[in-house]
Amino acid sequence: MVDAFPLQLILNIFVALIFLLYWGLTFVILYHLARFGIGVQPKRFAAIFLFGSVVLSGFAIIFLNNIDIQSFIPL
Amino acid sequence: MINKLISIFRDSPNSFDDQEKGEIVLLLLRRHIFTILAPLALFLLACLVPIVTGIMFYSFISAHHLLYLFYFGSSLWYMGIWMAIFYALTIYTLDTVIITDHRIIDNDQRGLFYRNVSELHSHRIQDVSTRTNGIIETFLNFGDITVQTAGSEKQFVFHQMPNPIKVKDTIMQTAATRDSGVKAL
Repeated sequence: MVDAFPLQLILNIFVALIFLLYWGLTFVILYHLARFGIGVQPKRFAAIFLFGSVVLSGFAIIFLNNIDIQSFIPL
Repeated sequence: MINKLISIFRDSPNSFDDQEKGEIVLLLLRRHIFTILAPLALFLLACLVPIVTGIMFYSFISAHHLLYLFYFGSSLWYMGIWMAIFYALTIYTLDTVIITDHRIIDNDQRGLFYRNVSELHSHRIQDVSTRTNGIIETFLNFGDITVQTAGSEKQFVFHQMPNPIKVKDTIMQTAATRDSGVKAL
């Protein structure tokens, strides 16, 4: 059996970079809405955006954990 | 405690940076909601991509045990769409015109890090005009508002504002009140 460790490592680094980028941009958007937003609407948008981001990230992590790396490697 | 936290989503004041003491916000304007619907519809259409792909290639995906990889890719796709939707909504929300009893402040938000703030004191307002372009703007009651300042100075144009007539009346009333020195109630 071929060792799946490097492939797993590459996938994890790739996903970590995507999440870093995503949550960096999320922070920037939330900061703008909270810092420069006037009135109720920006606060509501910020809350909905944060909630949706957490839920979607949660789903992505669950699906990532269920990926069977061994199935990609030819025997 | 929780009620106090929730209250910022109900009755957050229309206060802003550099607000003078005693300055009252008369109108807080954003572009008409119709202007944001077209990009949002495009993003909603993009939501269908993983669903259509899943239906088309279901047999291939399940035969090669790629189901969770497909779900993972789809969730990244939806994260991207979610980000794009709220990027558009953030730009829309931060692009405001504030009319106070002292002045008009135009926050022109073009991108997250590109913002142009113009200010016009109400005693310099000379003329206000509105323009409604086409059938959609007429039926949905939005249009452009042009504020002419004194002398040869530049015009202030606020695009696609809801209730342009009402906004024009408010601006003219504010300018007249400032000129006469009588405080509006």
